[in-house]
Amino acid sequence: MDGNLKISLDKLPIKRLETIEEVGVERFPSDLGYDEKRVNLIRRIDFAWAVEREDPSKKQKKSSSSSAEAPTAPFPWQSMRENLHLAHQELSVIIDLINTVEANDAVTVAGMTRPKQLPNELLSDLAVSTATKLQCFWSLGKYFKQSAKALERQVAREARFYGALIRLQQNWKVKRQRMVASAPGNEGFYIDLFDNTLHDSAAISRPSAISTVRIEHDPAGMLAVNLPPNSCRSLQFAFLGAYLGDNPRQTSKMQTLYASEDPSKETKKEPKNDDECVKETHSVLREVHRAIFDEQVFDLVNCEAFNPSLGVNVTGIRENYLQLSIGQGASVSIVLVPSRRDNRTVDGAGTQNLEAAIVPLETLDGSTPIKNPGFPNRTSCEIYLEQIFHEQVLGKTKDGSTSARRTHLSNQPAKDGLSFLGHFCMSLAHRIFSTKVLNELENLVAGVPYVHLISQPTWHSRTSSWTLSVNIPQSILHSGRQTQYSGIRCIKDVKSQFRTKVVVNDDCINVVGEGAPNVVGLFKRSESICSMNRYDCDLADLPVILLQQIASQVIRWLHEEALMAGIKAKRDYLSLSFELDQGETLGLVAHVDPEDSEGCISWWLVMDDGFTDEHNIQVEISNGGSDTRKFLGYLSLDVLHSTLMDLVSFCNGGGSL
Amino acid sequence: MNKGGIGIGSGSGGGGGPTAAAAAAAAQKQKTLLQRVDNDIGNIVDNFSYLVNVSRVNDPPVRNSQEAFMMEMRAARMVQAADSLLKLVSELKQTAIFSSFASLNDHVEQRISEFNQQAEKTDRMLSRIGEEAAASLKELESHYYSSAPRTSQHTQP
Repeated sequence: MDGNLKISLDKLPIKRLETIEEVGVERFPSDLGYDEKRVNLIRRIDFAWAVEREDPSKKQKKSSSSSAEAPTAPFPWQSMRENLHLAHQELSVIIDLINTVEANDAVTVAGMTRPKQLPNELLSDLAVSTATKLQCFWSLGKYFKQSAKALERQVAREARFYGALIRLQQNWKVKRQRMVASAPGNEGFYIDLFDNTLHDSAAISRPSAISTVRIEHDPAGMLAVNLPPNSCRSLQFAFLGAYLGDNPRQTSKMQTLYASEDPSKETKKEPKNDDECVKETHSVLREVHRAIFDEQVFDLVNCEAFNPSLGVNVTGIRENYLQLSIGQGASVSIVLVPSRRDNRTVDGAGTQNLEAAIVPLETLDGSTPIKNPGFPNRTSCEIYLEQIFHEQVLGKTKDGSTSARRTHLSNQPAKDGLSFLGHFCMSLAHRIFSTKVLNELENLVAGVPYVHLISQPTWHSRTSSWTLSVNIPQSILHSGRQTQYSGIRCIKDVKSQFRTKVVVNDDCINVVGEGAPNVVGLFKRSESICSMNRYDCDLADLPVILLQQIASQVIRWLHEEALMAGIKAKRDYLSLSFELDQGETLGLVAHVDPEDSEGCISWWLVMDDGFTDEHNIQVEISNGGSDTRKFLGYLSLDVLHSTLMDLVSFCNGGGSL
Repeated sequence: MNKGGIGIGSGSGGGGGPTAAAAAAAAQKQKTLLQRVDNDIGNIVDNFSYLVNVSRVNDPPVRNSQEAFMMEMRAARMVQAADSLLKLVSELKQTAIFSSFASLNDHVEQRISEFNQQAEKTDRMLSRIGEEAAASLKELESHYYSSAPRTSQHTQP
């Protein structure tokens, strides 16, 4: 307010007589209500000063505008300043009014008229509104763009995720957990690797902990399968006492897991192709599948190991470790080993653990352990174990359509009542035993030049077979055929080969040979009987028996040759004798000795006057010969034949010495 | 989560597969989904047309502020409708994963036959390898026994 202070005086608040009537009735003014009093007070506020200020400012403006044309340039923002002042004053009045109203003083607004707006004010208001609206639309536009980007990203992520999931579903069982997933963005998908067909067989009672694999999102939104570390285990088979060495199957399994789950490799190759992601996931799942299969094999092995069964003898058991004795002086261990990512540090500990657990069998005997004592290949044994498990367990669930085409390689584990583990152990034992038999046969064949060893694969895991063949040299055969048709009744089929078959079933050796020393044949003395005899023996006696068989075949052949040459000869166990004049006999005797390094079959010429017995002959042979015995040496068939012919001619010549 | 055999792509014309009740349920489900799609798209269209209509500038600024708030609300609704459409698409994909039995069965059958063929091929290969190994062994044995070292041993006295 200005400096002038105006004072207004109120009447005293006493009742004053308003009117008095002639009759004397006094009329007082009616009492004003509280509100009315207040209203009156407010009405008395004089706004003239404000109005006057406006008018004088306008007058001043006019006057100043008229006078200010001349020297001083008008302040460019003057009008705006004045407008702001006026606005400020009006606002302060209004604020006072509001404060009064707030203090619960009633205010009655008589009327308010908005001053008519000037066109520029109208336009400026419109401009402001338009600008505001435009701003609003811009912000909406930004919001839409942001949302669109986010939605696009989500669409892309989902497309990748579901695309990959559908591709995975082509090969694996995808399932969903019904409960709400706790982690955001996780829809609860998982892959079920449990095989119901195996479960039905009731042989496997323990579902694997890793058969449920959760599907998660990796940071890029793509499908990812994360396995807990060391969750996958694989089967490892070993012969105790043999050098463990590197197992190529183990290293390949480890490499697959190592390559797919190595975080350092993932950071190196940055944006991985979706195809590559899916392929890697496939291989990870495949490894888990294999791990489950190995676990099931181990479980089945454990179950069967403790059923009493032929060929199975448990000698050690620990967690995930089973040791069996399979006979033939061998023990095997079957272990579930974790397929670890870090081969360097942990693998050493793993193998150390295994080696510490192994008690080499040879040290018990006191002999030194051999690096490769003729055991079959460890990897092939592992594969074989898994294969017969697979055939046995999965073959039961199928109709047998697969069995028809597998007969060539089939193993028929259940036909002889053995469990599959029993069959496996016996197969291994058979392999070890047949290796020993083969060694003996090879040694024998090395000692007798005219014997050939022919292997005959049986395609059966517990049967092996070889043939020892004595081949008559072609030169003798040709000369023999010339005399064949000389008219005398002789054997029509001149054999060029004499065969002895050795068959090993599990650990039983069976020898089948023609012309075997046969009691019946000896009595009948008939040349037409070609006796086939079969008899069993053990490993220690095998060389001697085979040598005797071979020698008897040679004797038999010589006998036939002698008959063909027209001379009567007497065939005995291992000797061929010719009768001379005066009752003397001249004989060709075979002596067999498997330990002889120069040759296993040696020949003696024996002169017998009918009074010495065989025992003395043997004694004299071992003494190195005498006047009636002559050591001929380790003769080949050619030389034997020519010796025979010489004997024949000698006998024909009258027997003169 | 099995959605009752609904196959959007393969249709419901599969032979004696679904029973009448299942087919009816599938049709109902299909109808519901289509309705949802219609709702969402209608939502988006309506809100967008309102946004466009409201672009006129009015005199009282109060109305403009009101309209500004309305516009924000409509935009949010549009985005929400788009999001719900996206969820619908996800649901459809999940349905496809868990219920597209026809294509899955076909694929599984195909893979089974492929694997059987591969198994047979492997068996044949193994038996061929075995036969070749046996033949080679026989040949090698006969060569060895007719070879010079053996024959020289043969002629030794």
